[in-house]
Amino acid sequence: MPPFKDENILIIAPGSQTTLAQLGLPESFTPPTHRFPSRMFPAPDGKTYEPYKIQARKKAVAGDGDVDMDGTEGNADEEEEELLEYPDDGEGAIYPLKEGRIENMPAFLALLNHVFVTLSPVLHTPVLLIAQPAWTAKNHEDITQFIFEKFKTPALCIMDSALATSYAYGIANAAVIDVGFEKVDITAITDFQISARGCVPQSGGDGMTRRLTDLLKAKGFTREMAEQLKKSPICEILPPGTPLPGTEAATEEVVSNPAAAASTGATSSGPNVKISEAPRGPGPDTEVGEEDGEDDGEDKAVDDDGNLDIATIVTSGKTQEFLAKMEKEKEKKPRGRAGQLAKEAAEAAALARPVRLPNAKRPRAIFHYEEVQFDEPDAKRQKTPEPPAAPADQPMAEEPTAEASPEAPAEAPVEAPAEGDAEQIRDQRAAKKEEKRREREKENAIRGKRDIEVGIERFQAADGGYMDAIADTIYRTILSVDDVGKRQDAWEALVICGAGSQVKGFREALVTTLNSRYLVSPSSATMFMSELPSNLATPSGTGSMTPTGAFPTHHPPSASAVNPLLLAATTASNPALNPNMSVTSYNTTQAHSSHSQSPTNIKVANPPTYFPAWKSYEDVVFLGSQVAAKVIFVTDQGLSKGFLSRVEFNEEGPSAIHQVGLVY
Amino acid sequence: MASQQPMTSSMQPTDVYGGDEVSAIVLDPGYSSIRAGFAGEDLPKSFVNSFYGVQGEKVVFGDDFIHNPLANLEIRNPMSKEGLVEDWDTSTRLWEYAITSRLTTFKQADPRTNGLNDDTKDILVEAVDENEKALEEHPLLLTETAWNSAKNREKSIEIAMESWGCPAFWLARNSVLAAFGSGKATALIVDVGASTASVMCVHDGLILKKSIQRSPLAGNWVSSQLRSLFSTVEPKVDLSPHYTIASKTQVDAGAPSQAVYRKFDTEPSESFRALEEERVLTEFKESVVQVWGGPGKLNATNQSGTTNADYIRSQPGRVFEFPDGANRMWGVERFSASEGLFDASAALPSLNSADPPIQKSQTIPDMLRTSINAVDVDLRPTLLQNIVVAGGSSLLNGFNDRLHNEVSAMFPGARVKIHAPGLTAERRFGSWIGGSILGSLGTFHQMWISKKEYDEFGASIVEKRCK
Repeated sequence: MPPFKDENILIIAPGSQTTLAQLGLPESFTPPTHRFPSRMFPAPDGKTYEPYKIQARKKAVAGDGDVDMDGTEGNADEEEEELLEYPDDGEGAIYPLKEGRIENMPAFLALLNHVFVTLSPVLHTPVLLIAQPAWTAKNHEDITQFIFEKFKTPALCIMDSALATSYAYGIANAAVIDVGFEKVDITAITDFQISARGCVPQSGGDGMTRRLTDLLKAKGFTREMAEQLKKSPICEILPPGTPLPGTEAATEEVVSNPAAAASTGATSSGPNVKISEAPRGPGPDTEVGEEDGEDDGEDKAVDDDGNLDIATIVTSGKTQEFLAKMEKEKEKKPRGRAGQLAKEAAEAAALARPVRLPNAKRPRAIFHYEEVQFDEPDAKRQKTPEPPAAPADQPMAEEPTAEASPEAPAEAPVEAPAEGDAEQIRDQRAAKKEEKRREREKENAIRGKRDIEVGIERFQAADGGYMDAIADTIYRTILSVDDVGKRQDAWEALVICGAGSQVKGFREALVTTLNSRYLVSPSSATMFMSELPSNLATPSGTGSMTPTGAFPTHHPPSASAVNPLLLAATTASNPALNPNMSVTSYNTTQAHSSHSQSPTNIKVANPPTYFPAWKSYEDVVFLGSQVAAKVIFVTDQGLSKGFLSRVEFNEEGPSAIHQVGLVY
Repeated sequence: MASQQPMTSSMQPTDVYGGDEVSAIVLDPGYSSIRAGFAGEDLPKSFVNSFYGVQGEKVVFGDDFIHNPLANLEIRNPMSKEGLVEDWDTSTRLWEYAITSRLTTFKQADPRTNGLNDDTKDILVEAVDENEKALEEHPLLLTETAWNSAKNREKSIEIAMESWGCPAFWLARNSVLAAFGSGKATALIVDVGASTASVMCVHDGLILKKSIQRSPLAGNWVSSQLRSLFSTVEPKVDLSPHYTIASKTQVDAGAPSQAVYRKFDTEPSESFRALEEERVLTEFKESVVQVWGGPGKLNATNQSGTTNADYIRSQPGRVFEFPDGANRMWGVERFSASEGLFDASAALPSLNSADPPIQKSQTIPDMLRTSINAVDVDLRPTLLQNIVVAGGSSLLNGFNDRLHNEVSAMFPGARVKIHAPGLTAERRFGSWIGGSILGSLGTFHQMWISKKEYDEFGASIVEKRCK
């Protein structure tokens, strides 16, 4: 068997909403070239599935040049009716994956086939399929059988999506939190192997949308509006304990913990200065500037009208000075009730004017809702030859899908790095961008824009136990890792990925929740309660080290046994045991650890920075799958049984997939 | 005498794996968890909590669903404290969940318990075949405890054959499988699980009935000892599970907690709280509790004239932080919680005064002595050299050292050897692994009770075949 080449590797990463795919590995890994909506439509024959909605309709025009090639050929010569594809119509779609599980296997296989046909790889193309954690062993076998029999591929590897993510980050021990469409999958990985799994059903991005829809139902919000609100910058998830603007500092449902809020510095909502103490004009009349208005807010604390720009004051870092100045001014003013009232009124008035507060401090905000205006069917049909505009509930799939089907063959060679002329690529990119812009303009032409004002509901997308359930599942999953010593490593490398995690403030809120509830603090116990001299016990008592998991072996005491006090005295000179340095002493080899508990530290892993094309990391699983494909198919060539070859499949059947690959 | 015993001639080495054989499913249900997976694999793919949730009409299974602090969520367990199935309907559904969630997909077939009328049955079978009967592709190897009742055994083959449509079935004792998992056909099994600890002798793959000893002194008993401990230490430990806490604040050791508690419109049920408290206790057992390794008991006097407990007091303790932030150092207390497993007089008084105090005969060394004294004298040296330790609660640190010391002191002069897998997973899943080995043996496929045999002889065949 000749070795596999970079340009001949097909990667498919199915998700509940979007399926990512790419043929060939570029020199420097790029985001996927293709995004397919993960949906199929029942074909007119009632048995098979088609990638686009097909409906029979009365033949009106003779020439059907605007109909795509597949699916219609067989019926083209019918007199009365013709079958038309509606690429942008999502009605009646079947989503084969639900919460990651394969609900409809035939439709899913048809989707794989659609992806394969669209990319039309050459015969000698190995396939890397990214599996969702929820897939069962039988699913893997069925898919293996389908891929070998239908695609005639020489080699197949099925890889777990969380594992792929850890490949992208290049960390051996991690906890991958994949916020998907309707679920959140949590996978603990130790030594690049899956060691524990958890799942929060009925959550994910859709869970937040549903929550918003429920909250705003009274205001006539539809699901679609809630979905756009969730994606707008004004929707934000505040760390637990942050008071909602407009309510008084301590809200009832979440009892705030000032210490925690301060220490974790609710970064997304601006520095934690007590702006809320100033009387504010809550009321719907409050006019607030747009989000991007913040950018041009310059460092003038008091603008021409004499209004306070608190955000500017705060960001300029001169809060203290400013407050002192205010204090002086206050003293100048006449004392007494009347004066007080006058001052308050003035302040309220000042605040009622356009004030640039960070979003998290504003009780109300406006977002632009893009409405699809339904056109006449005729107009719709005219649109058909155009690249299909993504339906609004699939914004993730937007541009690339639009280009996918018509341009796929033309695009693939461009992306292929063989001729890697940087300039050419840049030109191509510019051209593409221009095209996209025009496209968007066209879209806007048929889309209405509406400004909708939303109150504090926009901060409550993840309320009602949503974050708690995710945090608890993370905790439970990491604690079910067998190797006690590896748990801390996983806590220090949380990977939060998936499209749902893109909601503003999601990561911060999650990390804050974990910190405030599960973090094990260094204990003072060893300093004050131990019978031993503190300099023996203290280093371990700080809890600053990774738990070793190794329990001390207690030697039976005898006359010759070393007196622990003596031992303490003799090791006092050892700097690692010096209590003053204990905070920095990360000593994993130490024989004794008073903490086997985790987490003593919670960290979010830093995304890899050496892939210039990767700017946002919600699809980081695809980056990992490219890394894995390179390793498994090109570098390793099957030496460590990373994939199932055709020969092995023929000999052992589909169940052989369990003996190779990277799933369990 | 060789310490490693060869398998009997009826078994082949485990590396012969019939590639074209359809792999059997091995199902190993226990009081705290259910292990399920394909025979021939090294670990069970599916690991499901035995506790399940009931919310009104809705029944939820699996860890992903039962830990949400919802109102009216009741937590139950279909198994009795002795590791026997009590609620067959729920057990069946729970096992189905364990199989379908990770192993193989199947649509749920109608549970047809009435197999008396042959004609109707044949029609039914054909009708159900259309929508894919549960496990019709996979033989099922189910484990049971050594003290399972005949009625329960017949019920399990009924479920396998009637409800799931398995082509073949076998019922194996989990202790025997634990021995197989360690590569032995003759062994003395010490199995310390969640609800039951048992000791018994296995000879050539068969349990010697007279040697079966069991007691409730297992993982859950250690948890109850911890509760006693928490209520007696000063200051008292208030066990608040994680779900009750909104956020915690760092406090000094021994200081009262300053956590902020979550408020619920309806407090979650008592049974839910118990389940969540058990999670905290499990963490405590994993990270703090330790067994005094010996020699001698914890309260015994050693050569230097002090007690072992005094020696431990001179050693640094371990700190544990509770979900509400309260933390303290655990010194000798962390040994006393588990000491009762070996020394009845050291057991802490139970919080529930209705519980009878534990007897000396219930401790593990005493059970071992009774068990080995019940077998033939000629067998004893072999058994002492092949003591196999299994079960998750045997992972308590120092357990093996203590067991070795106790047994050596009990049988001076005999060669005592304890076999305990070093890997955590292998110990926890010991009997499942044995089942996986057994189920993948080529020759074992001739031993299965086939569907045909079941149809011919009925459920009672399980008593005749699976000894």
